Amino acid sequence: MATHRRTSSLKRTQQRMAVLFILPALAVYALFVLYPLAMSLWGSFFLWKGLRMTEFAGLSNFARLFVFPSDARLYGALWHNTAWFFGIMVFQNGIGLLFAWLLFLRDRGAAFFQSVFFFPAVLSPVIVGALWRLLLAPGGVVEWALNGIGLHQGSLTVLGSSHTALGVLIAVDAWNWMGLPVLIYTAGLRQISSQIFEAARLDGAGNARMLFSVALPLLMPALGTLTTLSFINTFNQFDIVYVMQGVQGNPSYSTDTLVTYFYRLAFGAEGAVGITDIGLALALGTLLFLILSVGTLLVLRFFDRRTVEL
Amino acid sequence: MSRGPAISRRLARLPGWTVLCLWTAAVLLPLYILVVSCFKTTAEIYDNRLGLPARWAFDNFINAWTRADLGHNFLNSLIVTGGAVILTIVVSAMAAYPLSRYRLGWNAIMLGLFLSGIMLPIRLASVELFTLMRNLGLLDSLTGLILVYSAIRIPFAVFIFANFMRVLPSELDEAARMDGAGEVRILFQIILPMVKPAVSIVAIFTAIAVWNDFFFPLIFIFDDRYKTVPLAISVFVGQFRTDWGLVFASLAISMAPILIMYCLLARQIREGVGAQGGMK
Repeated sequence: MATHRRTSSLKRTQQRMAVLFILPALAVYALFVLYPLAMSLWGSFFLWKGLRMTEFAGLSNFARLFVFPSDARLYGALWHNTAWFFGIMVFQNGIGLLFAWLLFLRDRGAAFFQSVFFFPAVLSPVIVGALWRLLLAPGGVVEWALNGIGLHQGSLTVLGSSHTALGVLIAVDAWNWMGLPVLIYTAGLRQISSQIFEAARLDGAGNARMLFSVALPLLMPALGTLTTLSFINTFNQFDIVYVMQGVQGNPSYSTDTLVTYFYRLAFGAEGAVGITDIGLALALGTLLFLILSVGTLLVLRFFDRRTVEL
Repeated sequence: MSRGPAISRRLARLPGWTVLCLWTAAVLLPLYILVVSCFKTTAEIYDNRLGLPARWAFDNFINAWTRADLGHNFLNSLIVTGGAVILTIVVSAMAAYPLSRYRLGWNAIMLGLFLSGIMLPIRLASVELFTLMRNLGLLDSLTGLILVYSAIRIPFAVFIFANFMRVLPSELDEAARMDGAGEVRILFQIILPMVKPAVSIVAIFTAIAVWNDFFFPLIFIFDDRYKTVPLAISVFVGQFRTDWGLVFASLAISMAPILIMYCLLARQIREGVGAQGGMK
């Protein structure tokens, strides 16, 4: 009886202490993340005058997204984000797998190469973007080098051409984050029992065969994580575009992304400078939120089904 | 074993080594150009692309630090990063302690609420966040940035702390409780020192994310006095377009703290990132 009372009083104290302990974190998180996010989703169904919400508008903001003049911007940005995602999947997460496999096969140097490959990932995308903007500028070192080895003649304008600019940005982003797949794959490869590789080796499997038939199916959780991260990162892409091509996604919107478009609508650089369209911005935000949520769920389910249990 | 197969096995590895060294060069060469260009005048950058500077002049650094006022931005970034790291660690450790070690009946729901924030696209909330910050008088304020960054980093920090605290033996806090220690003392003097790896993971990844962020200063900071390094850099790139040496030097200055931290903590960072990949 006495012990029962003591445990229940301990439980009451714990409940009270728990509330006090959780409150600061919860308050900051709720006030600066959950509340604004919920209000943004809610506000996308209303009409706006400047920064003031006026009357309920149903889906009319969303309808405006898909008609002239914003439809061209929306489809353009959607396409650039999608291309960016697949570009990163191939050039970053694909080549990263090759690098991780090569490191896994070698018993020396892995830590050194991993550290070098990951270094750009700890730099700000602003620094990375600014650095490559200088290197790739007309008269920059890349132009000089390409002219020197005869691969290119005259002024290098890859960032100024709407045919090449997006591809260059994707390459810079892959350069920035190449270390991430390398680290995640090598951590995954090390979790695979060496007996599996030995057995495959005894069955006469070569390195390529071992990578694609033995290691890759067991790396599905790592690939799933990378796909999720790449999906979220590419659809939130903003910094590199802003620093290298400006907030309009120059030239002629060819590197525009959903978040740069959102930024222009929300903070006034679309159309006449200083004019904002909050209703449209919030509708775009809600749409992007839906794309990210549904997309992430689909990616997770896709990889859950393909995960091999041993 | 004869020498023949050993040599041919080494030869078979040559293409692989070549690939790895090529990417190493692709990473290090731009950074090398960045470093040597800091010491060159703009004319010298054009004339002598890859070589070492004729004279190790620090003019660009001095100009960046004083004329472009990067020193001021640097201090702002240090304050914001330090403040956000400390606030995130303290409030997240406090929240994770009861959530991982008490039997409350609502641990799972509350943890879920925090964890759902790890992937929330907070940039999309920036309009409402802007209005909120304006109403609270937190625009053009380093405190405002510290609060926003902490709010964004809390979910991840709670997740890491809860995972590390959950596996500590329950005798730890029970014994302390028997001795009459209060819950605050149990957390900060007994539990927190036991989860130092969690503290360093949270500190490292919060510091990197906050030091590098550009989006929130871009929307919340208008006054030059409160600009952080990435925001200042984004302005320099346009403003000093013709003064390449100065831009290179300001890039070098702004990445220096991260570079130093990376050289000291490369192993922890590698393992932390690898572990995140296996988190799911």
